[in-house]
Amino acid sequence: MALLRPSSRTRRRDTSGNRMWLWFMLPGTLWMTGFLIASLVLVAVLAVGTTDELGNPRFGFDLAGVRALADPAYTEVLARSLGYALLTCVICLLIAYPVAYTIALYGGRYKHALIAAIVVPFFANYLVRMYGWSVVLSDDGPVLRALRAVGLADSGTKILNSGFGVVAGLVYGFVVFMIIPLYAALERLDVSLIEAGRDLYGGPVRTFFFVTLPATRQGAAAGLVLVFLPAMGDFVSAQLMGGPDQIMIGNLIQDKFFQGQNWPLGSALTMLLMLVLLIGMLGYLRRTRKDEAEALR
Amino acid sequence: MTLVSTPSTTAPAGTSAPVRKHRGSHRRPRVLIAVTGLFFALLYLPIAVVALFSFNSQKSLTVFDGFSLRWYRAFVHDDVLIASLGTSLRISLVAMAGSVLLGVALAVGLVRCRTRFGSLAGLIMLVPLITPEIVTGVASMLLFKGLGVPLSTGTVMLAEITFSISYVTVILRSRVAALNPEVEEAAMDLGATRWQAVRLVTLPALLPAVLASAVLIFALVFDDFVLAYFTTGVDPQPLSVRIYSAIRFGVQPTINAVGTLMLAGSIALIALALFIPRLFGRRGGLDILSGE
Repeated sequence: MALLRPSSRTRRRDTSGNRMWLWFMLPGTLWMTGFLIASLVLVAVLAVGTTDELGNPRFGFDLAGVRALADPAYTEVLARSLGYALLTCVICLLIAYPVAYTIALYGGRYKHALIAAIVVPFFANYLVRMYGWSVVLSDDGPVLRALRAVGLADSGTKILNSGFGVVAGLVYGFVVFMIIPLYAALERLDVSLIEAGRDLYGGPVRTFFFVTLPATRQGAAAGLVLVFLPAMGDFVSAQLMGGPDQIMIGNLIQDKFFQGQNWPLGSALTMLLMLVLLIGMLGYLRRTRKDEAEALR
Repeated sequence: MTLVSTPSTTAPAGTSAPVRKHRGSHRRPRVLIAVTGLFFALLYLPIAVVALFSFNSQKSLTVFDGFSLRWYRAFVHDDVLIASLGTSLRISLVAMAGSVLLGVALAVGLVRCRTRFGSLAGLIMLVPLITPEIVTGVASMLLFKGLGVPLSTGTVMLAEITFSISYVTVILRSRVAALNPEVEEAAMDLGATRWQAVRLVTLPALLPAVLASAVLIFALVFDDFVLAYFTTGVDPQPLSVRIYSAIRFGVQPTINAVGTLMLAGSIALIALALFIPRLFGRRGGLDILSGE
């Protein structure tokens, strides 16, 4: 063992190695700085810029785009997007928890196969899946037919073209991002803890709320962020499942860049979206840091 | 996590189950199993509907009239869609090659290098993962417009590479971290230069993960539509962008056929990515996706 301790020779080699590792990192980092970081800065700059008659971005200092954000028409869309995204998070948690719990605790030898059966189709083409989902939820689709057959819906009940339809689309699109971290947390969970809870005469409900849930809080928090991020920026669900009264901030951004050709406003909206997401991320980071501090105490 | 640990983790569950049953406090969680069953049904229903109606002989999406390959034939004879398929394949191949090259190097560097630049590079690498696609799409489009580069298949390739590097790096980083650097040092003690040690020792050990990430990136880029939508020009647009325009303007049964083929293709590729490490005798599976 003593022979493996770094000698002065290997230490010298390590510093020269560091230089080589820098060369390894440089191309990728430069690429991402040039294409991504620079372009994000550009969005921020154009948010206070203007465009010429041809619609090409021109830089300057004009707060028209930023000021327009205060327009009630836009604040309403922002509030709706937040509402849809948060509702999507809650529904995803309510769906994903029992599914992840069942697979992690009762899946036995089929655990991995079951999780793969969830994950694989979710990473398949998002558009085609959403399109299929909109067919399933359409007025003549299987879901409404089944609900009508058991008397839970009448001929006037609609799912599409409503806020419910948009949230259903977002849930279908992103629920897997809740299942993966929850499953990982539940699989790590020591089953004997649950049994200990039962042995101490905790009923299943109390055991769940005092043992299982606290042990998987980190996984749930990660899942909430992972669902919130794409749900907040999505524009496909509102387009396929909603109507003109259900548009989200993503639809506004898309509209300003394609049909409306108001790029400064589009950029300002994009920055606003980033700001909301950043607040969400910071909240999550504070939460996890608090949890870690508590765990250490 | 080796194959050896699998039986030992399932063993306690197997031994404790009868004990619980003996106590009589254990019930089969019927409700949970029903919820999970319903979830799986709803998960696969949309995919099944698209696949089923792609074989419909009529245009309807609600009434199945009989089996026919009519829409597949229509797709094969649709020159525009076939051109789009070619574009998508080219974009995926270029993005795969570019991002794997840059991403693997970045992953190796990030793990091995302990400098301030390393932590900065690690932060930059995370940005695409926490930025929604619409923001990356808008940003890339503005960058190309700002530089005066006309949007084309080439700009989609550049944007997709940028977005994919992080995925490759995240997948690879944990693999690199699991490698013992002393193996490289042993190679160097035997006379290899540092570069030779990386090329002859480190990279071969990473091969399964590299292949898996390459397949995954190919599938993700082929399926991606938001980034492609914002950065594509008018030359044959990528297939996913074409599908998007088609489904926005009403139902076209040809899209069912294209969609079914795309779903089948990407499901096969992603399943392949999950199982490539197994082919090399390693534990494969979901850790590829979670980066654990």
